[in-house]
Amino acid sequence: MEENKFGHDQSHYERPNQPFRCGRASLWQTPCKQGPETDGTCGGVQECTPFLKNDRWECRRDNRFGGPCEDGPGPDGACSIQRPPCAPRSTLRVIRGRLVVLAVGVVLALIGSSLALDPTVGGLVSFSDAGPLSKSHAKFTEKKGCSSCHEAYGKGPVEWIKAVFNDSDISSHCVNCHSFGGPDFKAHNTSLSSKTQDIQCVTCHREHSGPSMSTKSLTSAQCNSCHKNQFDSFERGHPEFSKKYPYFDRNSIKFDHSSHLKKHFSNEKFSDKAPGSCLGCHTVTLSDREVRPNSYEKVCATCHEAQIEKKELILLRLPELVQDLIDHKVLAQACNLPDNKAKKEEDFLSISTEQPALVSAFLLNIPEDDPETYNQPLQDLILAMAEESSTPFAELIDGQSEIAMSEKLLAGLNPEVLKRVACSWGLNLEYEPPAEAKFGGWYADMLEIRYKPAGHADPVAKSWVEFALAVSSVQGEEDKVARAVAMREQILSAKDGVGGCVKCHAITKVKTAEGNTRWGVEWHYGYSDARPYVRYKHDNHIEILGTKSSCENCHIINKQADYMASFKEHDPASWVSNFESIKKKTCMQCHSETQINLECQKCHLYHFKPGFKKGMLTAKAEPPSSEL
Amino acid sequence: MRIHPGVSPTRVLGYMGLAALLFLVTWVWTLQIESTLENPAMANGWILFGIMAFLALFSARKRLPFLPLAPASFWFQLHSIGGFLVLFLFWLHTDGVGAKGLYGQVLTALFYITSLSGILGLVIEKVYPRQLTCSGVEVIYERIPGEIAEIREEVESQVLKCTDETGSSTLAEHYLETLRWYFQKPRFFLSNILGSHLSQHWVRQQCMILERFLNEKERQYLDRVFTLAEKKRKIDFHYALQTVLKTWLLVHIPLAGAVTAMVLWHLILIFVFFV
Repeated sequence: MEENKFGHDQSHYERPNQPFRCGRASLWQTPCKQGPETDGTCGGVQECTPFLKNDRWECRRDNRFGGPCEDGPGPDGACSIQRPPCAPRSTLRVIRGRLVVLAVGVVLALIGSSLALDPTVGGLVSFSDAGPLSKSHAKFTEKKGCSSCHEAYGKGPVEWIKAVFNDSDISSHCVNCHSFGGPDFKAHNTSLSSKTQDIQCVTCHREHSGPSMSTKSLTSAQCNSCHKNQFDSFERGHPEFSKKYPYFDRNSIKFDHSSHLKKHFSNEKFSDKAPGSCLGCHTVTLSDREVRPNSYEKVCATCHEAQIEKKELILLRLPELVQDLIDHKVLAQACNLPDNKAKKEEDFLSISTEQPALVSAFLLNIPEDDPETYNQPLQDLILAMAEESSTPFAELIDGQSEIAMSEKLLAGLNPEVLKRVACSWGLNLEYEPPAEAKFGGWYADMLEIRYKPAGHADPVAKSWVEFALAVSSVQGEEDKVARAVAMREQILSAKDGVGGCVKCHAITKVKTAEGNTRWGVEWHYGYSDARPYVRYKHDNHIEILGTKSSCENCHIINKQADYMASFKEHDPASWVSNFESIKKKTCMQCHSETQINLECQKCHLYHFKPGFKKGMLTAKAEPPSSEL
Repeated sequence: MRIHPGVSPTRVLGYMGLAALLFLVTWVWTLQIESTLENPAMANGWILFGIMAFLALFSARKRLPFLPLAPASFWFQLHSIGGFLVLFLFWLHTDGVGAKGLYGQVLTALFYITSLSGILGLVIEKVYPRQLTCSGVEVIYERIPGEIAEIREEVESQVLKCTDETGSSTLAEHYLETLRWYFQKPRFFLSNILGSHLSQHWVRQQCMILERFLNEKERQYLDRVFTLAEKKRKIDFHYALQTVLKTWLLVHIPLAGAVTAMVLWHLILIFVFFV
């Protein structure tokens, strides 16, 4: 290879930034010295461009290419070395430029065509689609499309330009369907402080991430940025649990775990019916924070069902009467008796030696131990029953409370039976029932009208409990109040009262706005809605710790607690749990920094009572098509 | 001519340290914004965009060689370090999660292919020039066709001379049957790129096969042909490596253009629909 081939006077200067290169060189032939013209034509058709000097053409071939040629230019000034023209090719630089234009052009074409051929307007693909929505959001936006959340969508370039200068308010669309227990955009949906800034839903909830909604979990550091009480981890700095934790709310069912576990379940009489573990009564599977007990039928009925059926209500009892004050003509007419029955007995001797039932004593407001006083009103009632059956009773009941309760209290009471009883008693005779009452319901027997509950949650029995509690809390005449209390005590008697339900169902005493006291029975299992920001996955823990005795790791029975006594005050706030409160150290047995660490959101929820707005939950049926 | 001494390793480490520092600052800033329940994508997105714009300036710098804007090698170093910084910032910006939408997927794919081509180009730029220097030959890429044509003409003239002087056509026949193919244009492109010595073996083998059929005088001509074949082999090597050095940009720059277009579209969508 020649030395110093790169010298400026030895070789020509290469210009790769020119748009064309010699076509001969591209075919691996000797390229011409001049190279192509800038317009892409061949510049090497002749070796040089001869110059006319003193009427003589001179060869102008450069010294670098051998200097003037031997033949020199022709007489017409044409170069003597002529070649056929080549086809110059584009240089790499030009090809690169074209590829850049092509790549950018493809992108712009995709964007442009996507705007024109958007699927929402019948096209195939949207190049502005940020990704598929979550399952739930995809469903309700399928009609309106992207404009469900993005206002500027599909509104043209003018609206787009406007949107650039205006804040897009995507989160405001979220609360068209989602609802919370407090301000939508405040932290934790509560106005803890006036300084708290609004937070947009899209800060944490990211859409366009596929079928499952992408929710960005808050880190403990993020919690610390707002909370005054800052700490590093659950182990270091988290406050101790409350002294009552987690037994803040009184149970609606008075179930003494201590006596059942220590006494009843170990009793040989019941041990075969006793559950093997806590899970015998509590369903942990799929449970979140609260583990509710199984139903009465599954848990309690085996031992307690027979007790319910034994407890009866005595509505009316024929007491000892001192004088026959009944108008027998009216009685005979009402009872359709023969005329000879219309005559009074000369020597009246009451068939009964009993006292009136406490229920009827209250309803008639009569002293149950003074026949002279109750003689007249009671016989008036019997005659009225003979004439109108249950109507006088209904009137008496409805007159006791603000709300008419007779319909519930006397549900199922056969008017025919009541009339027959009244007719018998009016004639100073015992009522003879056609058959023995075996099943639950109203029935009459000799000198009494009774109600036998059909079983647990008997509606009539429940109504009588509520009636007794309602009337006994009304302020009024002393005797009347005393009779109401006596009736209540009998009905609620755990031993034989029809309202023995309150042996298990807690009673709550509430002060009304007017200053009165009202009583209510906790008929159903009560869910606790206190501490809405706390969660605990029972099933996950049971899964790890096992089903046998893992509950006792946290729930330890407090033998000293007078659990049942605390129900006597009927005050949900003043209550002692059957269990010892759970301490932070209990959780720390497993949840420490070296073991299973906890981010705040493992146990705490961010939102307060999240839900859906009514409009969202209403199913809107499509109107039937007229063209079938 | 002043030859640029190149960038010292200490200085390169310094630039890398600065890039790492910028990334760390952006990362900490992102965490800080996140801790206040704000969206950090805007902040780190603008930084990402700024660095990408800086990378694009390298191309502009090449078009303005007359301006005293520091040598291209210096810009190349910054472009390379900035490229890696952009890659990390991209992960920070997207939380390391791939986009689900078509335009996001296209943008992500283009970005990764561009980055990959850039990394590949960087490796090529670091490895091939050294190999070219070690080859012992220096040739301008645009002059390679002329060099090959010149060698071919020289070989053919030697072959004709041999036939004239010795009266034997053995060398000429061998040239027409095998060596002519070799001298026509650059050969063994792939093996040269991969650093294989296949072309060297081939040339030697062709000459050795012929050697025993030639007399002493013919062998002298064969030696000259062999020398020219060796020279051509080195030019082929230059051609292969210089072609790769120039053509990887045919992938990287158009893709970078497409990424820029997509980024601008991304910015439009973000400002119209999100911010």
